[in-house]
Amino acid sequence: MATTTVPKVMKQGKLTPWLYLLPALLVMGVFIVYPMINTISLSFLNADGTASASTTCVRGRPCWGLFENYRYALTAELDLTSFSSTWKSFWSSSYGNNIKWIIIMVTGTVGIGLGFAVLADRVKYEALAKSIIFMPMAISFVGAGVIWKFVYDFGTKQVQIGLLNAIIHNLGGKPVAWLSTPQLNTFALVAVGIWIWTGFCMTILSAALKAVPDEVIEAARVDGANEWHIFWSVMVPIISPTIIVVITTMVINVLKLFDIVYVMTGGNYGTEVIANRMYNEMYKSFNTGRGTAIAVVLVLAIIPFIYMNIRRFLAQEAAR
Amino acid sequence: MRWSSINKKINNVPTHIIIIFTLIIWIVPTLGLLLTSIRPLPAINTTGWWTVLSAPRGMKTYEQACASCHGQDGKLLTAADLTNPDIVKKYPRSTQLTALLQKEINGQPHLGMTPLPEAQESADIAAYMKRLSNLDKTPKITLNNYVDAIVGYRGTQTYTEDCKTGKQSLDLKCNLSDLVNPRGMGRAFLNSLIVTLPATFLPILFAAFAGFAFAWLDFKGRFLLFAVLVGLQVVPLQMTLVPISRMYAQLGLNGTFIAVWLFHTGFGLPYAIYLMRNFLGGLPRELFEAAYLDGASHWTAFTRLAIPLALPAIASLGIFQFLWVWNDLLVALVFLGGSKPVMTYQIGNMVTSLGAGWQLLTAAAFLSMLLPMVVFFALQRYFIRGMMAGAVKG
Amino acid sequence: MNKKIKVLVGLLLAGMLIAACAPVATPAPTQAPAPTEPPAPAPTDVPVAPEIDCMGTASGDEISMLYQWSGNEEENLNKILAPFVETCGIVLKPESTRDQALLDTRVKAGTPPDITFWNVTQLTQYKDLLVAMPDLGVNADNYADYWKAIGTVDGKWLGLPVKADPKTLVWYNPANFAAAGYAVPASWADLDALVEKMVADGKVPWSMGMESGDATGWTGSDFIQDILLVTQGPEYVMGIINGTVSYDDPGVKAAYEIYGKWAADAKYTVGGAQGTLSTSFLNAIHKVFSDPAEAMMVKQSGFAGGEVKATYPDLAYGPDYDFFGVPGAKGLQGGSDWMMAFSDKPAVKALVAYLSSAKGGKMWAEVGFDLTPNMAGADAYTDPALLKKAQLLANATGFTPDIGDSIPGGFGSAEWKAIVDYLNGGNLDAALTAAAAVQAEALNK
Repeated sequence: MATTTVPKVMKQGKLTPWLYLLPALLVMGVFIVYPMINTISLSFLNADGTASASTTCVRGRPCWGLFENYRYALTAELDLTSFSSTWKSFWSSSYGNNIKWIIIMVTGTVGIGLGFAVLADRVKYEALAKSIIFMPMAISFVGAGVIWKFVYDFGTKQVQIGLLNAIIHNLGGKPVAWLSTPQLNTFALVAVGIWIWTGFCMTILSAALKAVPDEVIEAARVDGANEWHIFWSVMVPIISPTIIVVITTMVINVLKLFDIVYVMTGGNYGTEVIANRMYNEMYKSFNTGRGTAIAVVLVLAIIPFIYMNIRRFLAQEAAR
Repeated sequence: MRWSSINKKINNVPTHIIIIFTLIIWIVPTLGLLLTSIRPLPAINTTGWWTVLSAPRGMKTYEQACASCHGQDGKLLTAADLTNPDIVKKYPRSTQLTALLQKEINGQPHLGMTPLPEAQESADIAAYMKRLSNLDKTPKITLNNYVDAIVGYRGTQTYTEDCKTGKQSLDLKCNLSDLVNPRGMGRAFLNSLIVTLPATFLPILFAAFAGFAFAWLDFKGRFLLFAVLVGLQVVPLQMTLVPISRMYAQLGLNGTFIAVWLFHTGFGLPYAIYLMRNFLGGLPRELFEAAYLDGASHWTAFTRLAIPLALPAIASLGIFQFLWVWNDLLVALVFLGGSKPVMTYQIGNMVTSLGAGWQLLTAAAFLSMLLPMVVFFALQRYFIRGMMAGAVKG
Repeated sequence: MNKKIKVLVGLLLAGMLIAACAPVATPAPTQAPAPTEPPAPAPTDVPVAPEIDCMGTASGDEISMLYQWSGNEEENLNKILAPFVETCGIVLKPESTRDQALLDTRVKAGTPPDITFWNVTQLTQYKDLLVAMPDLGVNADNYADYWKAIGTVDGKWLGLPVKADPKTLVWYNPANFAAAGYAVPASWADLDALVEKMVADGKVPWSMGMESGDATGWTGSDFIQDILLVTQGPEYVMGIINGTVSYDDPGVKAAYEIYGKWAADAKYTVGGAQGTLSTSFLNAIHKVFSDPAEAMMVKQSGFAGGEVKATYPDLAYGPDYDFFGVPGAKGLQGGSDWMMAFSDKPAVKALVAYLSSAKGGKMWAEVGFDLTPNMAGADAYTDPALLKKAQLLANATGFTPDIGDSIPGGFGSAEWKAIVDYLNGGNLDAALTAAAAVQAEALNK
């Protein structure tokens, strides 16, 4: 399909492309492909990689033989006694949390990003406003962890150093334990994620909006459409390919998300997400087998979204 | 702009309100960090950063309950001069002050008709008296946290104080060489730069090569290979630390800058290749055809045509990769650790293992944000332009 | 924006320069002594054995070390090691991290540091790789038997205890106690009565706080272990560590319930269960010493004193802040740090010899980096609070390490999770069963 893009005028040695590709292939092979294969093979072994995973099975408990680590990765957080208990425990598992993260964070970043891009387009201080929204992208997670501690800190009377609880306290309310109340804490962490990533979505969406031809909008306006209608029925459909890319990119980001949870709660109080669970199994419980199995599950979960992105790209190439 | 001119009529107040409200939400957390980082530790530990903007603790309560007799400045009664430290010293806290206020003076209640203050109010007054009498000299704001963080001071006073009294620790010399003390943020800043610059340059270079090949050279399996390489974005880097570390150990690379450069290059490449291929592929084909007709080789086309034209994409990638590497903790922690501490690593070491020393942590965190902010604000134009090439072409 | 940042940077640099330049005028006392020669033959007629034995290391030999200490703690370690470094000319290559992933990655990659200071659990975890203390020339006489026993895995003494911090302590403000007419309790029953009296007086007895990032829950497990030392005794606690007592034993459950009665009720602790769960462990200390105080007591290990001093510089040890041992505890709970050696090179031997020597013990005590298990340091403390703690440790009828620190394989996290779940209103039996399963798995029972 795509060979058409290459100019035919130039003769080309068989080796030439590979010379250009060599550095990248070498580095990626060593740093990504090799560890990945290593990981996959370790996921079938026991904790320290010395024997098959099936040796870790406990008599009288469920066992998946060679796939024992995968049993652990998929079901250890679940209470499988009944359908409702499974359902309930799923939503407090790392998988459930990741799904919550995806839903809230993608909606939040794309929603706020798009809304802000539309609104900021109408004011004179657009550049400054967008810079401020984007600024958290330049801050490390370590820094963000420190920053948000002073927002979420749980204090009473004398010792009150968290901004949110100080506001609640002044309004006469009871302090809220943002980071240690199960369910609520995941939302509190997602808020940090939205704070960091909205700038990314906003920037891309804003550029896409600016690329919408004036004539189209003008035509709609002449037809008597109101602004709301123009936004939803004219602009959104035009920029929808961009929105989809932004969404899939964010989904991939959220699935791989590790740092916010690592820095702020370490996965405590039911805030664990898949990448943190993998890290904790590997480096806190020192169970490499289980940790790598979780890693493989994570990779499998991301693949469809990467596939979507790549397929869209190829389709675009073909259409060109 | 074109768009906004059309929409002038609805460019109204609600828009401004929503924008400014959002901006406040976005900027307040960072502002909190900045204000915290210039406060002395006792204040950080006990009161919120926003109090730095308010009147001293207890001033209002003092004025209501005491000022009528003792005067605004506390000097009105010579027998009970509240600016005299020797008098105030006897009533350091609410317990002692309340006891005093309960006693009668010349057969009259101390406070006359005014009811006894509650514990909280009494404590506030005691705190304010300490300020009046200069017993409490802690400044509201200080730059000491920054100085201490930069030189890597870890004592219980401040660097300036210890150097004055000659009690500084062994690794500090109290001269300019302390700016690069291995425990300080100054040195960490240099290390972060050494890590970041090559780790930004290398993946862009390699991606430019690969992107050129994918866009303008013909070979079998071109698209499949491209899809696979870009697809490697799925691999979370946390899972590669042990195998890579093992390999580095055999090569003797652990603890070297090369180790970090190569690792970041590997993980930066999938996205970089994607973006470079996308951008280079978007250049007009006629340009290349013309160049080839003029007798240019692929190499000439690459260096003279592709690279100069791809500068926006390169700038954008550069910023992205720069921010990513600069802000990374995990990779630097595992492969460099404390032998060549970078900023993100050193931030955590400002506090003890039990979390004492928040004042240094906040200052260090803010210091680590400075360069990325400067880079970002200075180059954001390129950044956005390049990012577009990656995401919304076509 | 750019301009502002530039101004800020300028200001910072200016401030830095002022700070850096000002003190140069003062005489620099550090430069006075010329680098000490390796122990010169003592000119006195009495032959004195050299205080520091360099074990034949060459000047310039390096020791790579990895530890969890940072900030002020690192400063203390440097002071302790200074005489050793100067005498033997050894170059230390320290690295500090609290993320155990770093240590583990290094070990798994086959490039462990020469030595590490870490928890007692790592003795078991790395038992096949560690060099035994007797092979490194340790001065065994300076250590009580129970320390050696804790440091022994499979019959080999693998770790040198270097630092101990008793945890079985309750911190309080003597001024506040005096004002309310309270006396330091002498027995558990006294403590219980005191707590009830405080509640009756309308005061909050306890300030508790568990929040501690990824280690959240440890203050709770400390408290429960102290209760176990009161209700069951040290053998029982060691039984949990060895696996002979399962973590879902009724004795453990009873301790949880005693703890839960206080920790989950706003009458007994600031903010009730939510306060306990969400307050950071440092804030919990602050609340007892703030003005007005929000609570009367906080159970916390030895470091709390330093935190009070830093946050409330106007308070003095003795009249304003002090501690007492948890009354009725049969034995002491303590956090301890252990030196482990992955290498037996001469420099490492020299370091082990130094730390376990009389000089090393005295140095540790003088610097006051918590307590030293090295008996030679027992009377060298200069800080009154440390002296009191040292006496408490010396008089203790038994010593138990932290349970969570002592069982490998993530039991620590499982224990914390059980406590957090329990206080969050979860089922206690289920929480303990889950932790017991991890305990059993970790200990291969």
